[in-house]
Amino acid sequence: MLRAPVMPLPPRRSQYGVAPELVRKRAAELPDMVSVLVRDLFPDAAPVIYPGEGGLEVIRTATRKQMEKVDLSMIKPGDSVNVLGSHHGFTLLGGAPYAEMLKTIRDVVRERTGCTDIRLRVGVGLRFRESEEYIKSFGLDEYYEGKAAGVAPVDEGVAIETEIGTLYGIKKIYDARWIIHAHNSDVREVHFHRQVDRAVKPFGMSYARIETRSTYHQNLGPRAANFVARAIFDSPFVQEKFACAIFLMMSPSGVVGVDADNDLYALNDRVTYWGCRDYGKMMTLLGEIDEAITILDFPSPVPYVFAAGVIFANFAGANRDIFDLDDPLPPYTWYTEAFYGEDGRPLIEGVPPVNPAIKVVIHNYAWGGYPSAFFTEHIPTVVVGREQAELLNRDPQNISYTKHALLAEDLDTAVCFAKRVAGTDKILAFDGASGALNISRSLGEYLLQKAPLVSRRVDEELLPKWLKQRGIDPSRFKIC
Amino acid sequence: MRAVTLCAVVDVDKCKGCTRCERVCPVLAIKVKSKKAVVDVENCLGCANCEQRCPEMAITMVHLEQSRIVQESLAEVDMAAVIDLCRRAHLHPKQIICYCTATRAEEVAAAILKGAKSPEEISRRTGVRTGCKVECIQPVLRLLHAAGITPERPARGYQWYGLTPTVWDIPEEVKKKYAQRGFYFDEDRKLLDSLVGASEKGGR
Ligand code: SF4
Ligand code: SF4
Repeated sequence: MLRAPVMPLPPRRSQYGVAPELVRKRAAELPDMVSVLVRDLFPDAAPVIYPGEGGLEVIRTATRKQMEKVDLSMIKPGDSVNVLGSHHGFTLLGGAPYAEMLKTIRDVVRERTGCTDIRLRVGVGLRFRESEEYIKSFGLDEYYEGKAAGVAPVDEGVAIETEIGTLYGIKKIYDARWIIHAHNSDVREVHFHRQVDRAVKPFGMSYARIETRSTYHQNLGPRAANFVARAIFDSPFVQEKFACAIFLMMSPSGVVGVDADNDLYALNDRVTYWGCRDYGKMMTLLGEIDEAITILDFPSPVPYVFAAGVIFANFAGANRDIFDLDDPLPPYTWYTEAFYGEDGRPLIEGVPPVNPAIKVVIHNYAWGGYPSAFFTEHIPTVVVGREQAELLNRDPQNISYTKHALLAEDLDTAVCFAKRVAGTDKILAFDGASGALNISRSLGEYLLQKAPLVSRRVDEELLPKWLKQRGIDPSRFKIC
Repeated sequence: MRAVTLCAVVDVDKCKGCTRCERVCPVLAIKVKSKKAVVDVENCLGCANCEQRCPEMAITMVHLEQSRIVQESLAEVDMAAVIDLCRRAHLHPKQIICYCTATRAEEVAAAILKGAKSPEEISRRTGVRTGCKVECIQPVLRLLHAAGITPERPARGYQWYGLTPTVWDIPEEVKKKYAQRGFYFDEDRKLLDSLVGASEKGGR
């Protein structure tokens, strides 16, 4: 069941990464690389609607169909509506399916309500112009008739009174009569949100000011922090504006559908169930890997590079069950990072180490714009190409990233060196290949052998525990 | 500690004098004068906030000929007072509070004890808040608050709005209401308390 490697999407032109022509070789082009499909690892994985033969039309149809379920009668023709998006949606499968969903939402709202003042507001993480880049490249500005904007957490704010006190949102997110929450269900930084209120999280991140994001990452603790988003969403200020939520439903194999609801918590429960099940299996499988050279090869900052729907940061934490809320601290979050002293050792007992199975990281292609020095401090890292090193040296968030990294002229040299020092030929590429993992043959065989046991363990033992911790009754989902 | 290697440069032909850059600069090093933005090169910490938010794309970041280090020295400060201030803010002195610059709580506490009275002044002395510009405002405000200082917000600026709740402030009824939904308030408080109470040398 090992196949020829799946070629990843080409590098993306962006101010946060090196120019595409400087990415001279991809991990998938290395000798001995093969690919294993998610479906071959987990035959019961949810069926995918995209990528597929129907192309983007399938996304359009699914969005329309799901939106039939939601009540939009609160929106009157003269009202203003902000469709709220997040930059992460555009990193999924090249971004086109998320962009298509955003376009369809605008069309449906217009048709059903007669409302013409429909704007798109797309939040960002730590690369403040990233959403602007996506808006332009997918023609969303034209589609929204000049009313599409990227918003950043340092933009003008608005105070929001919540159950726990005052928090702050971005004014431009909320400057309409109604808001539509247009997100996706990929679990990405599960090490932070622990799959608790995943569907609500953007209210504490993409749509929030720096004060709120700093509250999440500094004031509450690794498992209580998710409440920040819920506190904002539940506030009278947001409830008064909230119309509905529409989600691109993701799995490690691709887009499995679109889901929409006027009740965000009902949608949240569905996201939690499928997220724990499908991503839970993939992450548990990564935790079985005993040794590997990891190649970063995707247009995203270091922790967010993808492989089969999960990100490098998930692999960095795969030595622990990051879904298990009884475990206080994953091997990587900013809380974890904050707990290391100057000597590189933890300030308290019980701080789990970064996944020791990751022997060497090869930074073949990844962006700056996210504080990533933690990774080079903890894992031997080889950066490919001077241009890439220079990009990180220029990045105010990564001034010391290359301080702990070696530099290689090209990918082949880096791999040869890594194999020698790590003493392994197991390679795992985080290159965004769709529905598959690009890996070396030895690792492919290893994973195929481990997957059935992992699948059974998640279904029978881990999933019931994870859902119970989140207050979700699994029997509601058994028929799915 | 912040290594400053870049500086903002304004293209005056493109600048429309909108003041956005002035409102987001964490160290107040860029000001609009006569409808054009002007960078105070001595104080610019190269954070690129202005470059990232200028609607006219009028700002570029250029390499400094000579890089410099911005750091508050712990040498002439009463360490017992530093530790006490950190603990009152529920922070371990060695805890990192700014991930981009790896600034630890003790450095910010030292800046406050040496006279810094606002987040902007603290950033000028330590470099904190000049990496991602997003994640470190609350510990800075917490340390100021613990020192009994209520800083003044930059007039019309977006640099920061205010102090927000911590896990030590969550009302009991909120904890009870959401106990079944995966929010581990008391457990996380215990974890953070164990950090705050850990010895200066760490827990091993
Ligand atoms: S943000 Fe740009 S256009 Fe506005 S004042 Fe500053 S440099 Fe000029
Ligand atoms: S925002 Fe940052 S880069 Fe711009 S002037 Fe201020 S310190 Fe310098």
